[in-house]
Amino acid sequence: MHSFTRRQAIGGLSTALLLSAVPAHAAPAPVPQKVISVWYGLILDLVRHTPTYTPPVVSRTLGYAGVAVHEATASGRDDLLTLAGQLNGLAAGPVREAGAHDEALVLHAALGAVVAKLFFNTGPTGQRALKAVTDKLGAAIEAPLAPEVARRSRAYGEALAAHVVNWAAGDGGAEIVNLGFPEDHALTPGPAHWVPTNRIALQQKPLLPHWGANRTFAMPEGKSCRLPPPPAYSEDPGSDFYTEAMEVYEVSKTLTEDQRAIAAFWSDDAMLSRTPPGHWMSIALDALDAEGADQARYADVLVRLGIVLADAFIGCWQGKYEYDLLRPVTYINRLIDPGWTPILATPPFPEYPSGHSTQSGAAAEVLTALFGADHAFTDETPTIEGMAPRRFASFWAAADEAGISRLYGGIHYRAAIERGLDQGRCIAAYTNALKTGRT
Amino acid sequence: MRAALLLVLLAAPCSVHADDAPVVPTFAEETATSGIDHEYTGEWQYMVGGGAAAFDCDGDGRQDLFLAGGESPARLYHNDSDPGGALTFSERPSGLELDAVTGAYPLDVDSDGMMDLVLLRVGANSVMRGLGDCRFSAANEDWHFDGGDGWSTALAATWEKGASWPTIAIGNYIDRHEEFSPWGSCTDNWLHRPAEGGGFAAPLALTPSYCPLSMLFTDWNGSGTPSLRVSNDREYYEGGEEQLWHVEPGQPPRLYSAAEGWKALKIWGMGIASYDLKGDGTPDYFLTSMADHKLQELAPGADGAPDYRDMALAAGVTVQRPFTGGDIRPSTGWHAEFEDVNNDGYADLFVAKGNVSEMPDFAMEDPNNLLLQRPDGTFMETADKAGVASLSTSRGAVLADLNLDGLPDLVVVNRNGPAQVWRNRGPGGHWLNLRPHRDGANHDAVGGWIEVRTGERIQRRELTVGGGHVSGEAGWWHFGLGSAEAADVRVLWPDGTAGDWQTVPSDGFYRLTEGKPPERWTYSVP
Repeated sequence: MHSFTRRQAIGGLSTALLLSAVPAHAAPAPVPQKVISVWYGLILDLVRHTPTYTPPVVSRTLGYAGVAVHEATASGRDDLLTLAGQLNGLAAGPVREAGAHDEALVLHAALGAVVAKLFFNTGPTGQRALKAVTDKLGAAIEAPLAPEVARRSRAYGEALAAHVVNWAAGDGGAEIVNLGFPEDHALTPGPAHWVPTNRIALQQKPLLPHWGANRTFAMPEGKSCRLPPPPAYSEDPGSDFYTEAMEVYEVSKTLTEDQRAIAAFWSDDAMLSRTPPGHWMSIALDALDAEGADQARYADVLVRLGIVLADAFIGCWQGKYEYDLLRPVTYINRLIDPGWTPILATPPFPEYPSGHSTQSGAAAEVLTALFGADHAFTDETPTIEGMAPRRFASFWAAADEAGISRLYGGIHYRAAIERGLDQGRCIAAYTNALKTGRT
Repeated sequence: MRAALLLVLLAAPCSVHADDAPVVPTFAEETATSGIDHEYTGEWQYMVGGGAAAFDCDGDGRQDLFLAGGESPARLYHNDSDPGGALTFSERPSGLELDAVTGAYPLDVDSDGMMDLVLLRVGANSVMRGLGDCRFSAANEDWHFDGGDGWSTALAATWEKGASWPTIAIGNYIDRHEEFSPWGSCTDNWLHRPAEGGGFAAPLALTPSYCPLSMLFTDWNGSGTPSLRVSNDREYYEGGEEQLWHVEPGQPPRLYSAAEGWKALKIWGMGIASYDLKGDGTPDYFLTSMADHKLQELAPGADGAPDYRDMALAAGVTVQRPFTGGDIRPSTGWHAEFEDVNNDGYADLFVAKGNVSEMPDFAMEDPNNLLLQRPDGTFMETADKAGVASLSTSRGAVLADLNLDGLPDLVVVNRNGPAQVWRNRGPGGHWLNLRPHRDGANHDAVGGWIEVRTGERIQRRELTVGGGHVSGEAGWWHFGLGSAEAADVRVLWPDGTAGDWQTVPSDGFYRLTEGKPPERWTYSVP
């Protein structure tokens, strides 16, 4: 088992097709699963290296990429169903021309166009990598095809991508201003509410305050899994709120090495990692690779996971800005210990609920439905950043650990974690109810 | 600490502009008449780089200019400026007209009194030996300097104790041949140490390497042995961070660890500017990046550990977005340099800005910054008032007194656009330009310090080679004196000995030769 990386995904491609003396037309064409792996590997790299790609934005992109994969796949098979009419605002897509299509090229054309659009703002190195994959993977797929099959396949993939991209444009999340920190946002007055937690000028306003109003994918709206309020804000040492904050503080003073490792393992910082949704996508890609999944299985897993991650961030963000709760570091510095700092960098947005918890619960619930409740696995995702892999007995065991990691890290109170996981479970129910097959 | 500084400053003799509003000098752009017509060109492999070097290549006392060209040939421009006059240069065939040059640092490698130049390149780096009269020849082979085949983007140099040749650190960027997955492909930085008998030994790999865009040997803790600070571009590393290396004579280089107090910082590190802003004998470091920039000072209670805290927000130097021009997207910073441009006795800060390459989330019209320091340690943006808020895509720069009038002038290299030249027209207070000199190796006392005392206040400058963004200077070290008409000066030599305090009148150039009284230098027409 190894962590899913783009180097891994393109390894065979670059070695067999691009770097050797073997002419492309003489090498076997990549199968659809390989095409998906290469593009998802690139997505996960671009997530780490594209300036606006904070976790909510990552989840959105994974949602649309998954839909593109599913619709490309389902449109070529009689046993699969389109998600048009099941997902909010998704109309019926283009119809394939009569005649044979090459499924790898359909996928390549669709994913290439969707990724290029959603990562239009990646930097020069990302653009260079995008072009290299587009051109060279495309050439490798196309080499053995009859020209008419290639033309037809590419045309359909591109038309499908345009359909998905047009749908995405109206969801409220397409435009990210000032890297997601709107200058004109007014902070909520009062001691219970979020205030900046660092000295970074850009982050004196919170991240994406309107994300909770975005159009959802499978659940009806951002408030569909609305949480109850967090424990009432109080500075009374006898209050539930004070007790929660004191727990964060006291846990931080007695952290074991394993607890520190857990906090770091699930830290998944924006611009320094694949982020929490990318982390779960990496887990899923490893699972698919391990079972030798076929194209339909890839499509089912990727679309469901992408959708639930996107919905989870919308639902979570709705709660964050409804309650706009202050972070532990603010409360603890104010009332308990002015010099205290958590071991993780406090994310620049309100506390309740925990985003990692909501989306981890959502991901675990969907992956459990797809792979089973006892699917044990080794997660090597953060090994890219030099951390040791961790073994889990199930997806939910991983989600629970991801949730509690935020308490160990000193950035969330317990209520935000436990209720976040519950919220994720609720959101996942909408995704699990989607029909992707006819049986 | 700031409060304590403020009390000291209030007790000091009044400087000419020691109120809260520093006097803003006027910089007149003289690009069109300067004789400089040069661009740093190229696409992906030249998205970083674009350095300048200011140094005297013919011994006339004026600093000449070398400008990197990227895909175009680099150029050397001889400084023809009259003292106090317009900035004028003439292109000089020199042997430096190499292509693929990203930046350069002047350094008298063989201590022969003629300045050499180390060229950073995409491909093999080149050490160019100064022959006098602004001519140069390749010296890699003679000096056993392995130029490598990397994408070099940073340099720092020092003389380790007892060495007669310098130690040169070279920062290398990503593997330029990696097309599909360049992220995580940072190539090894190299440490070129002297060989027995002269020249250089085979380079040591500074592993791990994290794609630096600036390096600086600096005695951060006043120990007398400089460490190597490395500012790394987080865009490309995996598991990386900013770095500080122990570089002890005779020992392999070793990273400062968390156990020693080093705190992880992950930024798009692009440039380092250092200056002892508080006058306490330890340098502060300004780090350029994308969006927020950093100003690091040792944390209170650091107690000898390299425990830095960020003071950029408090000091007003986050410069995270354009301050003028209407583009409010985040900024991209490159070269940074402290210099007292209005001679009020407080080091000011210049930052070159420019989009990497069509990155739409960052400002495309990103004005350079000129931040004047107030006596309380905060800074005030004045680039627009001063006339240097260029919206070109800037990269490297030098701030140097090119026309010998005591006012630092400015040259900026722009990517795929003309380099720009500004003459500082003042007003400014009194000043000194000083140049230490010692016999033997390391003529220019790299690794030492100059101290300038006016009343109770002492300004300190560490004599370094490196930092900025692929841009370096050699020659006169500038100090503003405010209203002081004289100052006491001394050199703390690299071996740890302190020269005597000696009084010199203001507004002059002085050579500070070890063991001798200051010698006033005046320009004479060649």
